[in-house]
Amino acid sequence: MTKVSGNERAEQALLYLSLSILAVIWLLPFVTVVLSALRSQADLLSGGIFTMPKEIMWSNFEKAWNTGDFSIYFKNSLLLIFMKVPLGILLASLAAYPLAKLHFSLSMPIFIFFLLGLAVPVQVTLQPLLVMMQQLGIANSIFALIPPYVAFGLPFQIFVMRGFFRLIPTELIEAARIDGASELTIFFRIMLPLSVPALATLFIIDTLATWNEFLIALVLISAKESRTVPVGLLQFQGEYSSQYTLLMAGILISITPVVAIFVFLQRYFVAGLTRGALKG
Amino acid sequence: MATQTESRPISTRSRATSEFVAASPRNLTPYYFLAPALIWYLLFLVYPMLSSLYISFFKWDGLSPSKTFVGLANYYRIFFEDDVARLALVNNIIWTVASLVIPTAFGLALALALNRQLRGITIFRTIFYMPGVLPLVAVGLIWSWMYNPHFGAINTVLDAVGLDFLSRGWLSDYQTAFGATFLTNVWAHVGFPMILYLAGLQGIPSDYYEAAALDGANAWQRFWYVTLPGLAETHVIVLSLAVINAFKVFDIIYTMTYGGPGRATQVLGTWMYFQSFQYYNAGYGSAIAWVMAIIVLVMAVPYIRRMSRD
Amino acid sequence: MRSVTGFTAMAAIALLGHGAQAQDIRFFTNFDANAVSNWEPVLEAYQEQNPDSNVELETVAGSGAAIYPDVLRTSMAAGDPPDVFFMWGGEIAGPFIDAGQVMDLAPYYEQYGWEETLTPWTVEAITRNGKVYGVPFNARGMGFFYRTDIFEEHGIEVPTTYEEVENVCRTLKEAGVHCATFGGKFGWHPMRLLDYFLETRCGPELHDELNRLEASWDQPCVVESYTMLKTWVDEDWLMPDFLNISPVDARMPLYLGEAAMIIEGDWFESVARGDGMTTENLDFFVPPTGHEPVRYSAFPQQWMIPAGAENPDASAEFIDFIISPEVQNEFPEPFVASATVGVTPDCEEWPLTCKWREVITSQRAIYPPTDQAFTKELMDSFFEVQAGVISGQTPPKDAAVLMQERAEEWKASKT
Repeated sequence: MTKVSGNERAEQALLYLSLSILAVIWLLPFVTVVLSALRSQADLLSGGIFTMPKEIMWSNFEKAWNTGDFSIYFKNSLLLIFMKVPLGILLASLAAYPLAKLHFSLSMPIFIFFLLGLAVPVQVTLQPLLVMMQQLGIANSIFALIPPYVAFGLPFQIFVMRGFFRLIPTELIEAARIDGASELTIFFRIMLPLSVPALATLFIIDTLATWNEFLIALVLISAKESRTVPVGLLQFQGEYSSQYTLLMAGILISITPVVAIFVFLQRYFVAGLTRGALKG
Repeated sequence: MATQTESRPISTRSRATSEFVAASPRNLTPYYFLAPALIWYLLFLVYPMLSSLYISFFKWDGLSPSKTFVGLANYYRIFFEDDVARLALVNNIIWTVASLVIPTAFGLALALALNRQLRGITIFRTIFYMPGVLPLVAVGLIWSWMYNPHFGAINTVLDAVGLDFLSRGWLSDYQTAFGATFLTNVWAHVGFPMILYLAGLQGIPSDYYEAAALDGANAWQRFWYVTLPGLAETHVIVLSLAVINAFKVFDIIYTMTYGGPGRATQVLGTWMYFQSFQYYNAGYGSAIAWVMAIIVLVMAVPYIRRMSRD
Repeated sequence: MRSVTGFTAMAAIALLGHGAQAQDIRFFTNFDANAVSNWEPVLEAYQEQNPDSNVELETVAGSGAAIYPDVLRTSMAAGDPPDVFFMWGGEIAGPFIDAGQVMDLAPYYEQYGWEETLTPWTVEAITRNGKVYGVPFNARGMGFFYRTDIFEEHGIEVPTTYEEVENVCRTLKEAGVHCATFGGKFGWHPMRLLDYFLETRCGPELHDELNRLEASWDQPCVVESYTMLKTWVDEDWLMPDFLNISPVDARMPLYLGEAAMIIEGDWFESVARGDGMTTENLDFFVPPTGHEPVRYSAFPQQWMIPAGAENPDASAEFIDFIISPEVQNEFPEPFVASATVGVTPDCEEWPLTCKWREVITSQRAIYPPTDQAFTKELMDSFFEVQAGVISGQTPPKDAAVLMQERAEEWKASKT
């Protein structure tokens, strides 16, 4: 017995060691960004990235924030999230309810029709979207991003919500129907309140996706006043590419919100992604 | 991840209700609920798609009011005239095959390593998944810094350990640029297959392992005869998603190499962007986009079948 | 019933997006951070004079002509163009003019008398199809900037023939200094070197024909030019691994003394100071070509007004303000290469810029950088071939063949 447990302990130690080495490698890019962002340009050019900064330059962050106009990009991305995420999830939940709980002949074809959207590359809609947004008179503003963002978000969200709604006992719905509740009442009073975990997960996933989206924003938006964080960050890089320390500070600024959301809310996030991908 | 054990009995029950609603076949209620999403989806995803199919049969600069009908000429050009488009397609295929193997096998290995009740496992999971939540533009910029020939971490480390003959301009070298962007992709995306496999592993009943152990199966045999078959469903999902996402690659290439050096790292996603939005060839760009779309849709069939199964 | 939600949302979105800002002038440029700070006082002065208007400066910087025109094009395709925008000359401006996206400014030329304000040849240089679609504000020239201290240290004289340029590089290499530094990321920076080789090897006439695609690229002088480019790389005269380096980053080795030369333009004195470098050790020479006349690479820059501008009169008034000699003499920094008559930089303060001024106003013959002679699509082919040669991927002979192939493909696709 003792021999086996000794073996196990050795095995465990080896596992921890190799995982730790891998984790260090995985963190290395973050470390180099932080070490570069915290020093002066002169310090970087003379000392390289792997020395301790001679002096911690917190001012890099303030300078990057101001010169890079990150306040504009943050405002746009947040505004976009506040409008897009609830709207998209509401539409998806409304559609998911009949697909999960009401039987009608086109239920499956419509569900599959939505699912196909998961495979559609954004590129195949860009040119017409540009023309449409112009006709709607919202081109070049962040409002132009809402229609495609919501549309491309629907397939996954409908899938997740449908899967979750199916877990809600049908007896609850039947009881409400007998009490004379309308389907709309059932949806808002029973289905949504019982789906808070799924909704929370979708809010987190969608917030990250909206914050990160690049290609649609790149094509539909040119005005500085309307740029989102990824487009703004790339613009900042173009302008300050040789001021490495400032650029690294800018990168850190733009990723901090998503890293924070992920680290603190990852329980919901991971559960949702897994359920979304694996479970019907 | 704990929430997904009990879906089966409930779905049987839901079938029972279905019959209840089916009693009124002309009931329009489902469609009232579906209408907003369906209309939105038709208007801003399906319609633009079809519209770009239409555009792909024309020669059009994307701006002027007149288009010239050219039939299938744009598609012919992709496969028979434009060697950059063919290179892009080949690059997409390489990227896809590599995505099928490298991050997925890596993710599975990590999942196997992390699938146990030990202290600190969550921290490792967080670390390996974290790059996956970053904006890909930031990922690209971070790794451009890693690869920077003069100050980057990679050359610095190589020089420090005496391997300086290996250090090079990773993103400007024809031999390494594509691989270097792919490595970045692995760093960013290994976490996703990892958590999917973790969930899959937790779905394999532990008595299977116990039975196998009783039969005297060693670790490798347990992996081969219990774990891998037990993950069959997960494989479909992980591999399908790997293919779908690999064919859509854009952000990382655009940020890190801009398709260069020369045109060595062009993929369909970026080449479509260059054609449509830089060269004023909206018709040709739309044709490239449609080739992408068809390939991805075909490859997504097993995934969508799996997802729509009840 | 529920579908109403969708349409209501759309209507709300449409309304919100229409927040009209009639008095705003959206001033769209490629200014980098230094230029922005130079321009701020000018814009403030304009605002003071026109209190009810608000100039919004927007910039897309750092990539030269690689990304800026796309962003501009997007804004036009989206029906939301700026009110005044920056543009280069030649084929970069061409597509915007040919697609009818910019205004013919003849009426404003008459109204404000710009013919008298501007140096005649600059107006001529931006004229396309006999019409003036822009207002030239800069005339820019390029040449070799070099570190005088490094040249002195190794006893190097300013070269007067191409062979002497090569000798400079040999001497520098022996001293452990790279001859020149370029950033290959967008292609146009090393293009300047290749342009110089083409001018040297093919001569003025043939070079122009090549740029107009009237002569085949598959010919000996082109092969020789590519060979020269390859030599510069193989001999380690250029900073290594520069294909993915951005042109802005390429200045770093010059500043650090790791490389002695860079091909830049009259703006470089101001740029170097903006980067925190002293310019006492800098000077420039016009690259010797061995041909008569010795042409150098130069191009105009202009202001344009989009065809769909909401208030073109306000835009024109703004342009008139920023090109007027009074304003430019009051705020000299942004106007060191001005196309306006009677504006000269302070030669005490800006000796190199002043020296460039003499070159540019001397009526010497010029050739356009290739990226102003070719459309974007063809230009990217040019860059592709160039990168192939730099990397050693494409032998010079194949490069010439490939470039000609690309030129023919492009011609065929445009007819």
